[in-house]
Amino acid sequence: MLKYIVKRLILMIPVLLLMTLVVFSIFYFAPGDPVSRIAGPNVTEEVYKSIQKKYGLDQPFVVQYLRFLKSVAEGDLGISILQDRPVLEMIKERLPVTLQIGLLGFAITFAIAIPAGVAAAVKKNTAVDYLCMTGSLLGIAVPTFWLGMLLLYVFAYKLRWFPISGDGSFKQLVLPGFAIGLTNAAITARMVRSSMLEVLKQDYVRTARSKGLLEKTVVYRHALKNALIPVITLMGLRLGWILGGSVALEIIFSIPGIGRLMVDAILSRDFPVVQGSMLVLTSSIILANILADILYAIVDPRIRYG
Amino acid sequence: MSIYQSRDVKAHADKVWFERDTVLEKKHDKDISILLDFIRKLFKHKGAVIGAAIILVFILTAVFAPWLTSYDYESPDINAMLQAPSWEHPFGTDEFGRDILTRIIYGSRISLKVSLIAVAVSLVIGTVLGALAGYYGGVVDYIITSITDIAWSFPTTLLAIAFIAALGPGLQNVIIAIALASWSGYCRVVRGEVLSLRQREFIEAARILGMSDSRIIFKHILPNALTPVVVMATLELPKAIVIEASLSFLGLGAQPPLPSWGVILDSGKGLIGQAPWVSFFPGLMIMLVVLGFNLFGDALRDVLDPKS
Repeated sequence: MLKYIVKRLILMIPVLLLMTLVVFSIFYFAPGDPVSRIAGPNVTEEVYKSIQKKYGLDQPFVVQYLRFLKSVAEGDLGISILQDRPVLEMIKERLPVTLQIGLLGFAITFAIAIPAGVAAAVKKNTAVDYLCMTGSLLGIAVPTFWLGMLLLYVFAYKLRWFPISGDGSFKQLVLPGFAIGLTNAAITARMVRSSMLEVLKQDYVRTARSKGLLEKTVVYRHALKNALIPVITLMGLRLGWILGGSVALEIIFSIPGIGRLMVDAILSRDFPVVQGSMLVLTSSIILANILADILYAIVDPRIRYG
Repeated sequence: MSIYQSRDVKAHADKVWFERDTVLEKKHDKDISILLDFIRKLFKHKGAVIGAAIILVFILTAVFAPWLTSYDYESPDINAMLQAPSWEHPFGTDEFGRDILTRIIYGSRISLKVSLIAVAVSLVIGTVLGALAGYYGGVVDYIITSITDIAWSFPTTLLAIAFIAALGPGLQNVIIAIALASWSGYCRVVRGEVLSLRQREFIEAARILGMSDSRIIFKHILPNALTPVVVMATLELPKAIVIEASLSFLGLGAQPPLPSWGVILDSGKGLIGQAPWVSFFPGLMIMLVVLGFNLFGDALRDVLDPKS
């Protein structure tokens, strides 16, 4: 097992390198002069030269990239142009809120998708199944940020159960968490259903039934465990989607998360902040995929010998 | 040459042509019957019919926008600010007194345009890269596959935001960003198809006959990979619509006063308490259109590929 994990982590290195290369190149090849991005369009020749030198912008691509890589490896993501503060510090302030929304979203996803998916599979082609699958169809189609606005209108403006905007307290995170959880549950429930249907056809389930076990025991203790294995990989992939969806939600609910930091930085052309938050988001997505792979291997030993 | 001989020759030629025509007719008949069979199956599929109906209404709305409404989507009307839905303004008006329904109708043009162009471009990029990777293998395959896998593991929205960060906000850049962010799916599918087709006899035969690589790829391999690509493109269209709306909502895409559905949603963001209709209807439209494309795409997959 340890060997598999080490192997998987080593395989992650080229992916991370390529990712940094992509993020770096996006900004290197972006139209517009990088110096005037930092200093504005009207600068004297002298100032121009000094800024070019200060940020190493007169060096060739490879040198600039290696320098960028070195500072990232040292945990230095540069200085914000607008706020004149280390980017890493700004991200550290913002990241926890976004992660909380994401975790809450995941919890809600599981709380809804597993029972719904199992019920739909067990009662295949009945009203329960059709209801769950219609709900899932609608949930996949609904834009997450619009669902967030609907929830805000009903539960904050009309029922006044939650604050309309605020300080990032936990209570404020519940509605965006639900917006993510509900839409994410739609796609997950579909997956749980088809995976469960697959498992229920297997011989060992028939054996369990013929032993005279209660249907409930067969479904929940024997079948569900195996049916959830493919869902783990899906969840690893969905983290990126959740982070992407959380950007608009942070703006609707005025929550100071990393998504809002990034969008504000893009609009004010604060490139170091954009680059930094992009790096943090993308590496967390890569990490989540690896974690899902490892978790997959732990619960399903067949993978390791494949 | 005697008259009989020439008559024989003519009769023979007629016979040959007649046979050729019947063969062609039969082939033509077969093509038509496959097509008819496909359409019949699609019509039996409830999802396909509902989906197609929604898509049709969406496209007709976009095409005939100026005939569907008497209001202007741009110019303000200070006598009609923030009115709730009524007979005059079925979806209400926004903070400038503009008719929301009108803005949504014109907004469908933006959604349609962005999604069609972005999907077409990403389809071409992905197909070409996938064909190159699958056909040539080796280093070419390794490089393309590595890049594709990374692009694939990131959500399209975030990738598109990254490209917007570099290109700057704007509707045209949104099209470029979505195209550049969503080709990886096609690349994977086409590469897989090409890999499995490359070893088949008819490709071997084409190679032995001395056909050029590009001719083999475009004339003999790619047409066979068409089905999964078409299904994928149908399901990518709604994604492009949602991404355009989200980016415009964030201020990174279409800019006001353009009536993009995302821009209307954004203008309703601060008015949820007093004028919820401003953001309710554009979101509902996005949901309906996405639902239509998803239903149709799923049905298309069921009918075209019974295996999955």
